[in-house]
Amino acid sequence: MATVDRREFLKSLGLVGAGTVLTSGDAEASATATADNLTWDKAPCRYCGTGCGVEVGVADGKVQAVRGDEKSPVNRGLLCVKGYHLPGMLYGTDRLLYPLKRKADGSGFERISWDEALDLVASKYQEALDEHGPEAVGIYGSGQWTVFDGYAALKWIKGGMRSNNIDPNARLCMASAVMGFVTQFQSDEPMGCYDDFEAGDDFILWGNNMAEMHPVLFSRMLEAKRQRPTVRIIDLAVRRTPTSEYADLYVEFKPGTDLALANGILHLLVKNNKVRRSFIEENVVFRRGIEDVETIGYGCFGDQSERYTFKDAAKESSFEEFAKFLEAYTPAKVSEITGVPESQIKALAEIYGDSGRGTVSLWCMGVNQHTRGTWMNNLLNNLHLVTGKISRPGANPFSLTGQPSACGTAREVGTLSNRLPADMVVMKEEHRAKTEKIWGLPEGTIPPKPGYHAVDMFRAFTRGDLKALWVQVTNPWVTMPNLQRFQRKPGDGRFLVVSDIYPTPTTDVADLILPSAAWVEREGVFGNTERRTQQWNKMVEPPGEAREDAWQIMEVAKRMGMGKLFPWPENDWHEAMYEEYRSFTVGVGKDVASYAQLKQVPGLRWPVVDGRETRYRYAAGEDPYVTKPSGVHFYKAKGYGEKAAVWLRPYHPPAEVPDDEYPLWLTTGRVLEHWHTGSMTRRVKQLHQAVPEAYVEINRADATKLGVQRGERVRVVSRRGSVELPVRIDDRGRPPQGMVFVPFFDENRLVNVLTLDALDNISKEPDYKKCAVRVERLEASP
Amino acid sequence: MSGRTLGILRLASIALAVFAATSQISCSDSTDTQESPQEFEVDGQTVVKASAEARAARRAFDGAPPVIPHTPQGSDCTRCHDHDGMEIPGMGFAPPLPHGQTAGMSEFANCRQCHVFRSTDEVFQDSEFVGLAQDFRQGDRHFDGAPPVMPHSAFMRENCQACHTGPSAREQIRCSHPERINCTQCHVEDTSDSTFVRPGT
Ligand code: SF4
Repeated sequence: MATVDRREFLKSLGLVGAGTVLTSGDAEASATATADNLTWDKAPCRYCGTGCGVEVGVADGKVQAVRGDEKSPVNRGLLCVKGYHLPGMLYGTDRLLYPLKRKADGSGFERISWDEALDLVASKYQEALDEHGPEAVGIYGSGQWTVFDGYAALKWIKGGMRSNNIDPNARLCMASAVMGFVTQFQSDEPMGCYDDFEAGDDFILWGNNMAEMHPVLFSRMLEAKRQRPTVRIIDLAVRRTPTSEYADLYVEFKPGTDLALANGILHLLVKNNKVRRSFIEENVVFRRGIEDVETIGYGCFGDQSERYTFKDAAKESSFEEFAKFLEAYTPAKVSEITGVPESQIKALAEIYGDSGRGTVSLWCMGVNQHTRGTWMNNLLNNLHLVTGKISRPGANPFSLTGQPSACGTAREVGTLSNRLPADMVVMKEEHRAKTEKIWGLPEGTIPPKPGYHAVDMFRAFTRGDLKALWVQVTNPWVTMPNLQRFQRKPGDGRFLVVSDIYPTPTTDVADLILPSAAWVEREGVFGNTERRTQQWNKMVEPPGEAREDAWQIMEVAKRMGMGKLFPWPENDWHEAMYEEYRSFTVGVGKDVASYAQLKQVPGLRWPVVDGRETRYRYAAGEDPYVTKPSGVHFYKAKGYGEKAAVWLRPYHPPAEVPDDEYPLWLTTGRVLEHWHTGSMTRRVKQLHQAVPEAYVEINRADATKLGVQRGERVRVVSRRGSVELPVRIDDRGRPPQGMVFVPFFDENRLVNVLTLDALDNISKEPDYKKCAVRVERLEASP
Repeated sequence: MSGRTLGILRLASIALAVFAATSQISCSDSTDTQESPQEFEVDGQTVVKASAEARAARRAFDGAPPVIPHTPQGSDCTRCHDHDGMEIPGMGFAPPLPHGQTAGMSEFANCRQCHVFRSTDEVFQDSEFVGLAQDFRQGDRHFDGAPPVMPHSAFMRENCQACHTGPSAREQIRCSHPERINCTQCHVEDTSDSTFVRPGT
């Protein structure tokens, strides 16, 4: 159909009545396509770790529609509101179109050519390397990097510049889950998969607002419940959320006390003999780490406030010691710590202990963004290990991941300061050697000492130890905890280059801004929460001169004389790069599918051997690496004799707790409509109009005490900063008395000026969920 | 309890919910979209029909889930938007729920997963996005007078009557025979362009 103005089009059908009012946004819109002349191609959703399959409708070189991919086993045609509104994300009028360099007088930016921009990055990195060595350069990436971007960055920084200063924003999101899996199974990522939603009986959500954060998975769970009314959803949380509305049992615990609650459940399982001793004897070893709170600290006070390098040390332990350790966690004691009634603790122990029902534990940021997040991951995996409810359909500990390729890129490619592809680490000589061999580099190229983890990277940049920093696909000047301490004035002698698709508070403080191609404007691969690798093709041209992030890195590398790292033809490198990366994964139980196969299917779950995917890792009959005839086989855990480790982990209180001066807990998070810092979703009219600004949820009793009303603006103050926000009472989330909640998507109201940069002791992931604040009324405005 | 008593109780509870919601929402919740109401005659009653423009104004593109054009009335949307839809005193006609049990998903169980309120008319940044236009295709007929095939996918639109009958049906797609409720007996989904070829020929 020829291009017609929509109004004309409607008129031709007699649909425009006199006096019809079109809303402003619609009046300008003109229709250029009908369902007939769109071409459709598959892609994963750009946003969350669920990894829904979408079909993207393109006409006239623009994305004009999406629909849920009915062939995708993830979502079977359903999306959430963010997914349905994906196309709009590409077309904000303020897309970054050209490289922009900060003017010499610092007053703003001027357009420069790609050649100038790439030369500038190369020269600044070279200068930092020459003058200060590899520790002075870094790159901060993302769980939204495609596999290509992450792999190019890793190879350039570790193989080219011989620096380990690469970390992703995924450090802020799933590092604790990684360390949970690594310390217990010596291999990252879950054994279960989304099939658990149809196979499970009891779904226990640990601090996990799935209805908003993993909406399509939540719907799969609700559907399981509709079809099998015996299915139960148990919501363990610190505040009521939309998820709680659907729960059969709502258990509210005091912030940070989940450690005690999990130990309390383990206590009852052992005491009531609900543990599976035969399973434990065959498959489990016991370990104990450093437990002294003084030694460990919180990574943000005193001499830990600049660099947090605590290292745990493992001791052998036993079931007997485990049982003894748990004696302290009696229902009475745990109830006192957590605020959870003893009857509910007992009910939870019965659910976990019921061998006739499949139990799935689900968690995400509540557990991971925690000063003892790795410990909490350990305890949840423990619950499944001692009951033998693991690596079976419908019975698994299932850590959900936030970002679309936190698994595929950050975790599997290994774009962390300590990691290499496919479960390898820089600390191990044989891992470095294998990497150097695949990369064709001389032995000893990769340094053995881990680089800066995310928060330390920004501390180092602020101090001036890091001279050149590249930020891609993320917005740290909104998301860093205790944001005040990272304030930057360009001209400080350091170099900050930021690649993004829209201006953000991070591009605001950059020295150079590079315009990136987004989503289906380039070819990509993501890996989702259930180990599913998904490929998509480039479908439309990026706007202006925007280019994909991996290309930007490779071009800089070439200019620094590191071009041999990327030996592929400039216009045809995706498949070759992916296949090189894949060679790390083959034969070690992390085998991702071949590129050729990925192009044909809506994703496959690794390990993929002989073209066949694996639903349940470590399960005989499912996982091709298992050599046992039946049961489970934790074959990756060579260090534990191919068994999994149960760790004894005590309860420690949070780093900062409310007191007289700051009497309220602050917890932060996302909302359904917005992705992370809103840089994409706020440019979509429907999503912005649904939730246009951040707010503070206050309990009605606290509001009454403070004398504040719904809609009134208040000041929320912590020891680190303050922010003004409108009040919401009894809204979609309902914090208990003594707690407030603020979402973090709003760059105009930065909640992270309030949060504390306390870190998990093992994963070094910050705790965005717990700090102390007070709420002040503003003077009545005139 | 008779169906009628149930109906009255239900209406009363909705009226209460409407009252509670409107009295609670004192701040800037001006969510009602600006659209031109059209009077329409159904079964001898005059009702307000949602216009095609209103339909488009609520969607980013044809196929996107509509935003919710009224103030929040509690979390259970299906209380009003049930299989048949209902007249809500003081508000108008609540269109029926088009979704059936789609592909193993209770897609209506968490309505707010896909449908969000419009709580402001402001935008954060302007957009050049142009969405797929509304689709007014007619289904093919084998011959004049034969039942047309469905010109769109029935996925998540299993309740044909939601859009094709009743006060919220647009004139162009209004069904002339709503009393026949087994629609797919005569109207089949057009799912492929291919033609039948005998194996081996
Ligand atoms: S659930 Fe996640 S992946 Fe699926 S459509 Fe929504 S944002 Fe996208």
